[in-house]
Amino acid sequence: MPLNQALKGREYQEVSFPVERDHVVQFADAIGTDDPVFRDPEAARAAGYPDQVAPPTFVTKMQILTSGQVVLDQELGLNYAMVVHAEQEYEWRRPVVVGDVLVATPRIADIYVKGPHEYLVIEAEMKDASGRVVVIARSTLLSRGTAGG
Amino acid sequence: MAVLRFDEVNVGDRLPPLEKVVRREDVKAYADASGDQNPLHQDDNFARSVGFPGIIAHGMFSMAHLVNALTRWVGDPGELTSIKVQFRGVVFMDETLVAGGEVVAKDDSTRRVRLSVWTEVDRAGQRVLPIKNSEAELQLG
Repeated sequence: MPLNQALKGREYQEVSFPVERDHVVQFADAIGTDDPVFRDPEAARAAGYPDQVAPPTFVTKMQILTSGQVVLDQELGLNYAMVVHAEQEYEWRRPVVVGDVLVATPRIADIYVKGPHEYLVIEAEMKDASGRVVVIARSTLLSRGTAGG
Repeated sequence: MAVLRFDEVNVGDRLPPLEKVVRREDVKAYADASGDQNPLHQDDNFARSVGFPGIIAHGMFSMAHLVNALTRWVGDPGELTSIKVQFRGVVFMDETLVAGGEVVAKDDSTRRVRLSVWTEVDRAGQRVLPIKNSEAELQLG
């Protein structure tokens, strides 16, 4: 069944995401990076950061929280078993550091058809406590073979 | 750690390839750290039910490895300003994932550098690119 095109532009509930030291270390371990700025606040300060730095793709964790609301939206009609992650984009305005509390309001940026497939673009602007944009995340999910109805 | 300078980089320079053998425990650790618990990345029976021979790594697992290659090369993770990747293939367990890239443009006025980036695996003698047609941008000093 095709996706509900009327939901283009729909915004979802704001998600808040505190960047915690232990999670940053767990993520650095999982992706296999040994850069001390991801693990040691002193090393991060020596490199000019206010605190321990999160690896750039740490924000994937927040993105999964935000896009969860979209993919589970009953009105959208997405069958998750048919979904493939087709594209991912991040724009960093500054590095994320421990102590940041990021907030984002996920939004359906686009829904379009290409051949037999449909594409769903979810965007989340992650802002810090002062309201400044820190990261923009854009995910394109491909819904296999659902364009025909 | 030495941080790469704009003047040290030339169009055509290659990102030093970064290799990683993809183990089941690494993919599980990534699922736990990222919160993406899709069974396609943990449950062989589920993966087979949707047409794969066994579990596959998350696309974002490969993207994180690619970003590791970039930040190691630059020496400062804060200098990565954007990345846009296309996932065009899967990565199976015990394959060797190699992140690569090439400098395609330099902007003297902003000191930004653009790279074409990819990941590759050797699958039965064939070079397969799970991430391709992708770009990253760095802000160098």
